Amino acid sequence: MILPYLGQSFKNLFSKPVTEAFPAGDPPKAAEGYRGRLHYDPELCINCGMCMRVCAPQAITREIVPLENGDQQITFTYDMTSCTFCRMCSDFCTKKAITLTDDYMIVGSAHEDFLVSGTFIKAAPPKPKFTPEQLEAMKKAAAAKKAAAAAAADGEKKPEEKAEAKGEE
Amino acid sequence: MLQNMIDSSMKKSPWIFHINAGSCNGCDIELVSVLTPRYDAERYGFKLCGSPRQADIVVVSGPVTMQSRERLRRTLAQVPEPFCVVSLGSCPRSGNVFKGSYAIDGPLEKYVHVDVSVAGCTPKPEAIIAGLAQAAQLLEEKRKEARK
Repeated sequence: MILPYLGQSFKNLFSKPVTEAFPAGDPPKAAEGYRGRLHYDPELCINCGMCMRVCAPQAITREIVPLENGDQQITFTYDMTSCTFCRMCSDFCTKKAITLTDDYMIVGSAHEDFLVSGTFIKAAPPKPKFTPEQLEAMKKAAAAKKAAAAAAADGEKKPEEKAEAKGEE
Repeated sequence: MLQNMIDSSMKKSPWIFHINAGSCNGCDIELVSVLTPRYDAERYGFKLCGSPRQADIVVVSGPVTMQSRERLRRTLAQVPEPFCVVSLGSCPRSGNVFKGSYAIDGPLEKYVHVDVSVAGCTPKPEAIIAGLAQAAQLLEEKRKEARK
């Protein structure tokens, strides 16, 4: 009856201890799919703000600084002390700019140790060729030209009425 | 001579006191698992003690709720100087998902200076051990400064 226990105790004599040697050795790898420290790639981000919208603990802040040439400097900051690691931001990110890594060693004293941030510059949309005033002037000129041409084609019949009708259209 | 002996033995046994300030029990379970054979923080002298008067390191988990606020303040007042405060998880530092709730009166920084924070929801036991080790180091420095 005692034999199986004897076998086990003999095995234990030569087996490794179950205790992890962590502070002495390297930290063990996290399990597959572990949600650890967030990684943010500002190159892929398009500033849609979806991550801020789905973040339950409001851990995400955005700072927009307008630059002189009309561009915008956009900084996203992810606060790991506020994060609940639900991965909603990553799931909703259409450009896959946010991923959750398996780095779980988020230990520190200062608040800056827990911030993940990235900055990118959003270029201003290209300026239109003409200003609205110029476009209005061009439209008027074209209408006047058409009216003049129609009047010339109709000859002496009813030049005044024709011109009015064109103008109304 | 005697003081040196006391110092070296205090260095090797930083006792932990755990305050639950309205935590969801996730961080509390992980803190207890740190003391189990698998992670075994007790080999470095970390021991969970039953009274704040014996504690060197105070571990706080949970956003500070209205109900626990007064008890937290009273417990922290009983811890002998010098001591370290470790905040466990996201809650004590920011309130996490409970941020802005009428039942929360956080963050912990309002009541006591937090020396080391371990972020995560919940943090892994390895991260907690790393945080405790950092706190133990800070505690040693604090003791040296207090002696001067």
